[in-house]
Amino acid sequence: MTEVHGQLWTIKQLFTYPNEYIYWTVHIALYPYITGLVAGAFVLSSLYHLFGKKELRPVSRFALVFSFALLLVAPMPLLFFHLLHPERAFNVFFTPHYYSAIAAFGLVFSVYGLIVASEIWFAYRPHFIAQSQSRKGIMGLIFKVLTLGSYDLDERTAHIDEKAVKFLAAIGIPSACFLHGYVGFIFGSVKTVAMWKSPLMPVIFLMSAIISGVALCIWTYILGMKFFRREICTDTVRSMGRVLAWFIILALTLEMLDFVFHGYTAEESWSILSKIIFGKFKFKIFVLQWGLGMLLPIILLFIPKLSTIRAFVASTCVLIGVWMMRWDVVIGGQSMSKSLAGFMKYKMPIWPHTFEEFREGLFSVILLLILPFIFLCIFNKFTPVFTEKKCNFDTEEAH
Amino acid sequence: MGHAWRPLAVAFAFILLILIVRIFVVPSDFMAKNGDYKYQWHRVSNEKDWKDFPVGYRGREFCGQCHPDKLEAINKSKHRKVECENCHVLPEAKKSTHPVNLQKSYKYKFIIGINKTRHLCLRCHQKLPYRPSVYRNFAKPVEFKMQDGEKHNPGMPCITCHDVHKASFK
Amino acid sequence: MNRRDLLKAGLVAVAGMVIPLNALEVFDDEAKAAVKAAIEMVPKKRRWAFVVDTRKCVGCGMCVKACKMENEVPFDADVSRTWVERYVVLKDGDVLIDSPKEARYGYTKNDPMGREIKEDEIAKGFFVPKLCNQCEKPSCVQVCPVGATYKTEDGVVLVDRTWCIGCGYCIMNCPYQARFFHPVYNTAEKCTFCYHRITKGMKPACVQACAFGVRKIGMLNDPNSEVFQIVMNERVMVLKPETGNEPNVFYIGLDKIVR
Repeated sequence: MTEVHGQLWTIKQLFTYPNEYIYWTVHIALYPYITGLVAGAFVLSSLYHLFGKKELRPVSRFALVFSFALLLVAPMPLLFFHLLHPERAFNVFFTPHYYSAIAAFGLVFSVYGLIVASEIWFAYRPHFIAQSQSRKGIMGLIFKVLTLGSYDLDERTAHIDEKAVKFLAAIGIPSACFLHGYVGFIFGSVKTVAMWKSPLMPVIFLMSAIISGVALCIWTYILGMKFFRREICTDTVRSMGRVLAWFIILALTLEMLDFVFHGYTAEESWSILSKIIFGKFKFKIFVLQWGLGMLLPIILLFIPKLSTIRAFVASTCVLIGVWMMRWDVVIGGQSMSKSLAGFMKYKMPIWPHTFEEFREGLFSVILLLILPFIFLCIFNKFTPVFTEKKCNFDTEEAH
Repeated sequence: MGHAWRPLAVAFAFILLILIVRIFVVPSDFMAKNGDYKYQWHRVSNEKDWKDFPVGYRGREFCGQCHPDKLEAINKSKHRKVECENCHVLPEAKKSTHPVNLQKSYKYKFIIGINKTRHLCLRCHQKLPYRPSVYRNFAKPVEFKMQDGEKHNPGMPCITCHDVHKASFK
Repeated sequence: MNRRDLLKAGLVAVAGMVIPLNALEVFDDEAKAAVKAAIEMVPKKRRWAFVVDTRKCVGCGMCVKACKMENEVPFDADVSRTWVERYVVLKDGDVLIDSPKEARYGYTKNDPMGREIKEDEIAKGFFVPKLCNQCEKPSCVQVCPVGATYKTEDGVVLVDRTWCIGCGYCIMNCPYQARFFHPVYNTAEKCTFCYHRITKGMKPACVQACAFGVRKIGMLNDPNSEVFQIVMNERVMVLKPETGNEPNVFYIGLDKIVR
């Protein structure tokens, strides 16, 4: 039999249209997840650069560089694993159709990538210049390229750099919000999928993006400090924890509001949508996404005197919870048939026997989740992220 | 101040690169036809590609060129609205039994043969409670012939007794 | 505050409220025209349209077979550009809907959803052929990020197989699920009204294959076409009108349980 795209992992129940399969699979859940981490990490770094939250200084550069590492991975699940014609991926840049949320995403994404890259360049310029003059061989050459041919380094240029970082952080925040709000729009504007169709979708995605990004920064900061055997700054962790907790409350409120609205207005699709929310996905939504991913972290973070281990547990829970949210939205939304008379079950391929099973399966997901950390390790060679030896927030940066 | 513009220069180089590559990659007839960017943004020659798609179903006149007797018979019968190809195209056959190689001589796309299974006739004539019992595609509505395939001479090919081209008994 | 001030304030307030209302009247004619265009049956442009008379359909599935063969969608693949659904309403209120193998082998057994049903349990039942609705405002075209799908001047929505990146956004945005991925080309695939046939004066394969006169095609703004006559004189319905896609496939005898 000729295998149809989607047949491998879709189990149909009751009546679904013949052409109906789960066409958007795990990679479409992964793509907003990583994009969210990008936006969240960037917002965290901007809290220091723009609003001068001094206790966040130890993580500000790390968050910025990590944001860039994640940014490079963010489109990969979409472009290389989801598209059936990845070789045509650049058509989005060649003949963009801006009525489509995905085409506009290409533009927003590129602009945002340039902002982050420029901010890193301004922040690390003195480092690049110093390294390009002291290092030899290939590394020296790479650093020479990274300086972009500019070797001016005095008080005046340092002042300009500082201003540029501030400016880029300032325009970076709205574009980070725009970037991830846009991802929400990609889903929220699909009028045929009842679970997605909601004007709240962009805001919901934005809030969950921020919490996942902050949580990942806490998580990686704690692990990174342990790994390098450095002191973990309690004030830094607590400050990040406070940001995280308040944004979780916002995110939870919006997500609940969305469901309440679907239920209260009870449009035609609600009869079947409610069977998804309160039936097939009740454990995933209420226990994992909200209970484990939001309520538990709120409690853990709001108990006074936040300890490192508590912050670590809370941020792990948030990361799982936000992943479940992406899963519930992408897979849950498609689980109900557009015929309103049937369901589809998604069964992700685990052990790959064919290339298709690898591409759409668990191992490509694991690969994509490891990739940002590999990028971070590589970037760390050029833009060292943990430069602070001690937790002293009052002195100026030691560069 | 000069150094501060260098990232912007890199950005412009990036945009320029895309614009240059675009010239070579995008077909020259890719445009918003009638200025309709919302619904008609496409490669215009693709319309011709679809118009040139090879026709498969040729209709009864095509068959009638060699089988005028069959065409005449069926045109007089109650099966006159049924196309030859409905029954004689075999979607799952690998080899044609048709004496003339239609693929070669007429660029015909399908494999032609005779399907003697009861299933083929039952697609229309199996009695189902919700199958319309009156045929309304002639000038005057007529009663539609339906049989229960499980009770009406089960196991025997329909063509043992019925002549399909006459829509009656042999 | 004395009376004069109060009067002045009142006048200003009223004037302030009246001016925006007056400003709106500029748009009045435009608004009327927009509403008129939305409820008009016959569009001003040339439009291919389709009529499906569900009362006549016997569920033989010859249209599905013809379509799959004609348009080279692999016959054994579980997707199709057109398909036939079976709806059976039982006397106890149960609704059974199915479309086994898109009905490419037709319906030869009384086994909706694999259930053995006795004749006296059935309240009503019917077959509904489906195909792409070639919408006036196709949401699938709107969301294509690269311009690989488009609407022709005569209202048929086509896909450029050489440009489609296979993201599936159009498939998600079709309310009728008329789109799928072609198993061979791996690009979005859909009914074209047999564009290669209708532009040569032939009928689409499914229309030609239907011996029961269920399917009809014609120009919606051609007073001589049968489609025009039916749409203007009979009570026709479209599928999922609430989506605002304005389908160009019109149904006769549609039941409320059909989606």
